Amino acid sequence: MPIARIILVLGLLPFLAAAQNVSIKIEDGRFQVTGWTPGASEPSGGWGSIFSVYAGEGDLPPMLGSYAVENGSLVFRPRFPLSPGVRTRAVFRTPGALPVVAIFNASTAAPAATARVEHVYPSVDVLPDNQLKFYLQFSAPMSRGEVWRRIHLLDPNGKGVDLPFLEIAQELWDRDYRRLTVLFDPGRIKRGLLPLEEVGPAIEEGKSYTLVIDREWLDARGAPMTEGFRKAFRVGPSDRTPPDTAAWRVTAPKAGTVDALVVKFPESMDWALSLRLIEVAGVAGTASVESNETEWRFKPNAPWKSGEYKIVVDTALEDLAGNRIGRAFDVDTFERVSEKISGKTVTLGFRIGQN
Amino acid sequence: MNAAKFSKMFLRFAAVSCVTVAIAFCANLTSLKPGKAELKSAGPLAFGPDGILFVGDSMGATITAIDSEDRTPGRAGAKVEVKGLNKAIAGMLGTTPDQILVNDMAVNPISKNVYLSVSRGRGPDAVAMILRVDLAGKITEVSLSNVKHSTVSLPDAPAEKEGRSNPRLETITDMAFVDGKVFIAGLSNEEFSSSLRSISFPFEQAAKGSSVEIYHGSHGRFETNSPVRTFVPYNVLGKDYILAAYTCTPLVKIPVSDLKPGAKVKGTTIAELGNRNRPLDMIIYKKGGQDYILMANQSRGVMKMPVNGVDKLTAITAPVPDKQGLSYETIAELKGVAQLDKFDDGNALMLFDDAGSLDLRTVALP
Repeated sequence: MPIARIILVLGLLPFLAAAQNVSIKIEDGRFQVTGWTPGASEPSGGWGSIFSVYAGEGDLPPMLGSYAVENGSLVFRPRFPLSPGVRTRAVFRTPGALPVVAIFNASTAAPAATARVEHVYPSVDVLPDNQLKFYLQFSAPMSRGEVWRRIHLLDPNGKGVDLPFLEIAQELWDRDYRRLTVLFDPGRIKRGLLPLEEVGPAIEEGKSYTLVIDREWLDARGAPMTEGFRKAFRVGPSDRTPPDTAAWRVTAPKAGTVDALVVKFPESMDWALSLRLIEVAGVAGTASVESNETEWRFKPNAPWKSGEYKIVVDTALEDLAGNRIGRAFDVDTFERVSEKISGKTVTLGFRIGQN
Repeated sequence: MNAAKFSKMFLRFAAVSCVTVAIAFCANLTSLKPGKAELKSAGPLAFGPDGILFVGDSMGATITAIDSEDRTPGRAGAKVEVKGLNKAIAGMLGTTPDQILVNDMAVNPISKNVYLSVSRGRGPDAVAMILRVDLAGKITEVSLSNVKHSTVSLPDAPAEKEGRSNPRLETITDMAFVDGKVFIAGLSNEEFSSSLRSISFPFEQAAKGSSVEIYHGSHGRFETNSPVRTFVPYNVLGKDYILAAYTCTPLVKIPVSDLKPGAKVKGTTIAELGNRNRPLDMIIYKKGGQDYILMANQSRGVMKMPVNGVDKLTAITAPVPDKQGLSYETIAELKGVAQLDKFDDGNALMLFDDAGSLDLRTVALP
């Protein structure tokens, strides 16, 4: 039987060799069959039944894409431009001919490292032991999916703290993938929960820690960062007091100037929320948060006019420990704060004068 | 009653039932209009009635309902197994497996085909796609360029301020269809708060859905409005509940009837799952007359908890040792489960992460 099969194959070879002049080339991302004239109509199994392109190694399904007959040649356009480093194999089969196979090696030029960590908020180097989050600000868009391998918290002995953060698969990026929010595990902050009772808080008062961000973290183009990042900080006592706007100091600029209105907080506040949730009613301008996030500055687009103004603060504004205006991060139901702020905003008045 | 009369009455009843079902069917499907479904990202998936697939898009702050047109019942006893799913998808999309993220997975309860929300790429320019894996393991793209769909915007961040894009984003952590409504749990990348939102389906113009604040005092004393990480609908004796796993570890029951617009709801802690609990996905199933929760857990593997009579479970009110409330056992042989969904009465569908290779397979319910 094997001999008979060999003879049969040998006997067919002259016919199978008929596809010899057919070749496949790649041009502008299109795969083109040359030396073969497509029939008037598509084969019953579709063009994919005679011409397929495979990306990567091993037994994989063919690439998605579209077929067309252009200038008398069959052309395959992949659904997406090929990623760097992807090898492709194009296979053309016609009945009665040996398959024509062409392999295209991919360019392997690695993108240069350009991204870095610009800043980590909070800026201050003493944090409450119930610190709620960090914001990591990058200089360029980063890649999703490896956050929890790239961020580490080291204890005073340089040993990694076990699971200090809320490792959620979705990863809390902004739309540009330049800012990542990292929450400490709330189970180790909120009182009365097992994780806090069993393993204690992630960070302890009186000790020093280092937040470490690996250089190997890839940016959106697949390049590592130019350098890693370290933020050393000490841990102070818990902060369970809701921020009180009555303790804020407002310094008003003079009329006719575009000088900044300055609001000083008695403690560092959440950077992102301070930028977003405080505004001057009816005045367009630019806000910034400075001095270790203890100062909110607002520069108007047009010079100040004399008169009464209102600073409007959304009560969702949090301090570093997640205490909101009028409500602590975790409320003790037996010792409720007696004065409840029910509205969504609080206002602070100030006056712009000539002198 | 003679047989002919009974038969006539039965036929009339059957006809009325069919009409009723058909009207509901039509209302759901006619609300979906053909055209291009714009997805900026494809995150949590959930199936509603009539093969309608809901896709959560955190980046676009929308929920899109898509007619899968996949309503042929799958054969009984079917199984699914695809090894190297991310490699196969990468090959189809002309990229490397590390550039493929499978964000969620849902089984079409009618056909049993598996739907995946996938990102091609890892950065802000990643392309959002929906793929279907059939019972033979064949992967195809669900075209979004001309599909019957309907999209509703979530009341997300305020609009861009002076040309600067607003960095606040509400990540959709989980989604489910319960009793004509899509429930959506979200987690903000700025303020720490819970949002569980419900939106009636069919979507109505300008209907942003209603949001409720849920507080829970795990051990009675301290309350937070901590975000929900994953949740599952559960019906007991005709009453709908949501069982929600919180980011700070308790498992909380909330009657759906309490989730009214603007309400402040106090959830009842029914289990405190303790340290290292990182729930990813949950399903509820019945075996031997007993209801169970199966929970995929990032650091603990897959946990099984008997849950009969959740309506009778009382709140945990005092600090207690580990495994308080519902007891659980860990299914040792199920390691690396990244996604979980119910497949049929006897099987779950799981996506395993085996050292970077994603494998999809049906697993008999334990």
